[in-house]
Amino acid sequence: MASFEDELKSALKRQEPSPDFAERVLARVAAAPVRRASQPWIRWMAAVAAALLLAAGGLEYRHYRGEQAKEQVLLAVRIAGGKLAKAQKRVQMLAHRSNS
Amino acid sequence: MKSAALPIALLLLAGALPAQQVKWNFDKLAARASESTDVSLDGALLQLGAKFLSDDDKDQAKVKKLVGGLKGIYIRTFEFKKPGEYSAADVESFRAPLHPPDWQRIVGTHSNEEGETVEVYIKNDNKGIGGLAIIATEPKELTLVNIVGAIDLDSLSDLGKHFNFPEVEVEKKK
Repeated sequence: MASFEDELKSALKRQEPSPDFAERVLARVAAAPVRRASQPWIRWMAAVAAALLLAAGGLEYRHYRGEQAKEQVLLAVRIAGGKLAKAQKRVQMLAHRSNS
Repeated sequence: MKSAALPIALLLLAGALPAQQVKWNFDKLAARASESTDVSLDGALLQLGAKFLSDDDKDQAKVKKLVGGLKGIYIRTFEFKKPGEYSAADVESFRAPLHPPDWQRIVGTHSNEEGETVEVYIKNDNKGIGGLAIIATEPKELTLVNIVGAIDLDSLSDLGKHFNFPEVEVEKKK
């Protein structure tokens, strides 16, 4: 058990870096290839694709709203027309009775 | 002088205002109804819906023509589980805003046999009929219709007589 602790202490013991450590790190950083920003046309394509997606979504939503509104219009005319026709029929019946 | 100017200005403003929907209060009735249907189509929604009506279908083409000049359609129907769940006072409250000289009752029918009543009101403006309101009562159902704008009553009635559109999905509340 004691030997394990000793081994652990030894492994985790603070070690000073070599004197040229900082220089080597800086040299590697300088030698690393610079990541270039993406091509402008890629960004344009992404923007156009996003705009097209938005437009398609908007059209789809408008179509959905339009179909919903159409159903509501048909329902409204069915109810209003039905009630009006009922009143008209009764008036015609009364007129027919009073004439005969 | 100053006190007379305000009512005159309000009258002028009222004349300049576009046709408005009838202000009915449905709160009490909605609480008692077992089911209700609400159709609220303002001018923009009405015209959007009209664009989706088919010109090839004879009935839909007629509806398209009929609603072309309208500014709004507002309908509420309330269904009750048993008769007597709404009172004469409820119906009277819906009649209250439909008073002369703006509104004129043109038809009022009652059937003792079926216990049904239909009252039709029109709103006159300087160009002719500027709106329509219908109050229709049945023992277990109450329907209120308000159409804003110039409406052709004959066309609407004709469509109501032989409406054979496929059943549409009705959004029922409660």
